Amino acid sequence: MKVLALNGSSRKNGNTEILLKQALMGSESEGAQVEILRLTDYKIGPCRGCGLCLFRENVCQVKDDDVSFIFSKISECDGVILGSPCYFLELTAVIKQLIDRCWILGHQIGKIKKPASVIVPYATHGWIPYISVQSNILLNVMGLTKINEAAICTQGISEVVLDQEAMDVAYRMGKEIAVAIREKDLTYQGEDGVCPSCHDWLVRILKDRETVECPTCGVRGKLSMAGGKIRVKFEKKAWADNRFRPDVSYNHFTYHIAPSKDYFLRTKEERKSKIQKYQEYLPG
Amino acid sequence: MTEYLVKLRYYPGDPLERIKVGDLKTLEGKYGVKISYEKIENRQLKEGLLMENTLNKKIEEISQEVITVSGNKEKKFSDCIRALYKKYRCPRTVYSLLGSNEAAEKIAKGLMNLYGGW
Repeated sequence: MKVLALNGSSRKNGNTEILLKQALMGSESEGAQVEILRLTDYKIGPCRGCGLCLFRENVCQVKDDDVSFIFSKISECDGVILGSPCYFLELTAVIKQLIDRCWILGHQIGKIKKPASVIVPYATHGWIPYISVQSNILLNVMGLTKINEAAICTQGISEVVLDQEAMDVAYRMGKEIAVAIREKDLTYQGEDGVCPSCHDWLVRILKDRETVECPTCGVRGKLSMAGGKIRVKFEKKAWADNRFRPDVSYNHFTYHIAPSKDYFLRTKEERKSKIQKYQEYLPG
Repeated sequence: MTEYLVKLRYYPGDPLERIKVGDLKTLEGKYGVKISYEKIENRQLKEGLLMENTLNKKIEEISQEVITVSGNKEKKFSDCIRALYKKYRCPRTVYSLLGSNEAAEKIAKGLMNLYGGW
């Protein structure tokens, strides 16, 4: 059994790395082989939006970087622990860069049954609203199932070692991943949020001002007040619309993306005539 | 008098609920427009999923449900489109209005931005 830690921090021996290593020690205590990748040590180029991965059977045009190596590492392991600092409301840029490159994985969404956990050190309470969005997207598109996540308040370099409770949490999460692999049990063990699927606390108010949705899963529900508390109710049938379900993901790629090739070809001449002035203006 | 004709192309999984001809007839009467419905089904069950190769197909030929709405009164036409979006959610791709006329497409696109929620 292999547990892989993905580190979204560029700082060596910083809080994220320390917490991830602590988690891996927990995994090792359950018999796992462990490995850690600092994502910023690898070249992760931006997605070029060429669409070839979608239209020409999984061919990525960006060949001069390490993304396929990172994907192969994820493919080889049995569980993942993702770590990233939250510097400014969300995770670091390298996580987003990796998310954008996940188009190539396409239909793997929801098909791979591997557990994953997320550890996010941050400095200021209340400045972490979007941390779960990116981690949920990344794990979902890579086909991983989140079984726990922890946001850990800590600030200066390596200060987290002073917080024994945080270190215990990380260690326990590492053990949990190994146990989940061994017992093939992907039950979520973290704190429940508003969304029963991704467990995040975010809801987005749609423009009809009647409907809310989980911005990550795309599942729609209604807000209400009960006993002075805000309630978010997602209808059971709404879960069929979770964008990370294999069938919903399949429909998205099959009906929203693939047919755009026909549209692209049909509009070729019109685009050609209209694009000219932009090619001539401020030529790069 | 301006004629409005829009084709709303819903692909599998797009409508929030099953599109029923009876419901469309009700809207047709309520808003004084003409509504027609066409279903194209080319999916086959494979690996537990209804699958279809759409990559090299014409947009009009892949599985979809097409609601065609026509009328000549802008307000009623617009209200009908809004009601359809509210019921089924708006179609979701840049090509999902293909076959519409320009006047109708302008209304349908504008309402997508308002009521699409995406």
